Amino acid sequence: MSDGYRILSLDEVETASHDGSTLIPVRHTLGFRPAGVNAWTADDGGQLIPPHTEDSGNEELYAVVRGRARFTVGEEEADAPAGTLVFVPPEVFRTAVAAEDGTIVFAVGGTVGEAFNAGGWDSFALADTYRQEGRFDEGRAIMEQLIAEKPDYWPTSYNAGCFEAQAGYPDAAFEHLRRAKELDAEGRSAEYFRGDGDLDPIRDDPRFQELLG
Amino acid sequence: MSLAHIDDLDRIEMPDGFVWRPVRKHFGIRAFGTNAYTPGASGQIVEEHTEGTLGHEELYLVVRGRVRFTVDGNEHELGPGQLVHVSDPSLRRAGVALTDDAAVLAVGGKPGAPHEVSAWEYTFFAGPHIRAGRYDEARRLLQEGLQEKPGSAPIVYDLACVEALAGEGEKALELLNEAVATDERFRKYAQTDEDFASIRDDPRFPQADV
Repeated sequence: MSDGYRILSLDEVETASHDGSTLIPVRHTLGFRPAGVNAWTADDGGQLIPPHTEDSGNEELYAVVRGRARFTVGEEEADAPAGTLVFVPPEVFRTAVAAEDGTIVFAVGGTVGEAFNAGGWDSFALADTYRQEGRFDEGRAIMEQLIAEKPDYWPTSYNAGCFEAQAGYPDAAFEHLRRAKELDAEGRSAEYFRGDGDLDPIRDDPRFQELLG
Repeated sequence: MSLAHIDDLDRIEMPDGFVWRPVRKHFGIRAFGTNAYTPGASGQIVEEHTEGTLGHEELYLVVRGRVRFTVDGNEHELGPGQLVHVSDPSLRRAGVALTDDAAVLAVGGKPGAPHEVSAWEYTFFAGPHIRAGRYDEARRLLQEGLQEKPGSAPIVYDLACVEALAGEGEKALELLNEAVATDERFRKYAQTDEDFASIRDDPRFPQADV
């Protein structure tokens, strides 16, 4: 095999937990750049697609690769056997539940008129899963890679702070969170500092007041 | 709900033997490029090609059946839930279905650039109508493409083919010269394109040795 391509089996990718679903982090694993690509898997009755809406302009396509899914889009429900494609326009609620064991749904997303710019939520989901399993070094390596790729993107530093807070490393957590606050020119991080449960382990630390100020 | 099974999408038979299932157009997706393919008479499911011209990075997902992919000369037999990610646009890739029920979903685009609908979507749509002599329908589809991509050389070239085949020599020559002026590669293609038999001897036909 040459460097310019790669073969991947969805069954072989290490999964991550995200919002009550099991994510197969395809984009993170492959480094695919033109669009967001990921997959979700669940057994019968399990949540496949976390309930959510996407921002303005963000289109998503779901493809049932294996098994059967029950989609809810807006207020409509539909049965979706393997080979079914479901398109969801921006700002419309969507979720899906597996109707057979081993169901896999592949998802593609992007924003109309904009180059795809990976926010890294999927990578963070994998890092956080590693943290929950006690694999701190592997999780930290992912966060460091994300920061190296987009050093000026405040949400990545913020997530790295959450990771370290949850992992029990307050010094590292405050370093990342201070950096996030510096980078966040619009002050959007403030509401997260106030209400994010991930930061509870360090909330009583005197240094936390600096972040709220 | 905007939902469709791959088998229920339009079935566009291509000369290379594969069947194009136009996913992006069916759903009106604008954010990214995506299409599906099923095997045609020859068993081909992904046409042999590179993405050198468009610079696209591509991902092929086997949704059903078995497919033998050849990428950069290497063969890989893949089943449902397996992917081929071709990050290097210059690599030649193709797929042959090993089972009649095979289906492949493709996602692609140019990294770092907003998605643009490719001209080939319109020429692929018009192709079966051109081959069947339904020139009015072919014209309509290609004109629709020019609304989306004004001046696109591949679309203008195919429109020239339509006019030549329809006996509209003057229009064909005008369009063919427009395509060549936009993209010199079409000068070479025109030399051996049988669609232009009716206008090839006209002095205004683009000459090979320019």
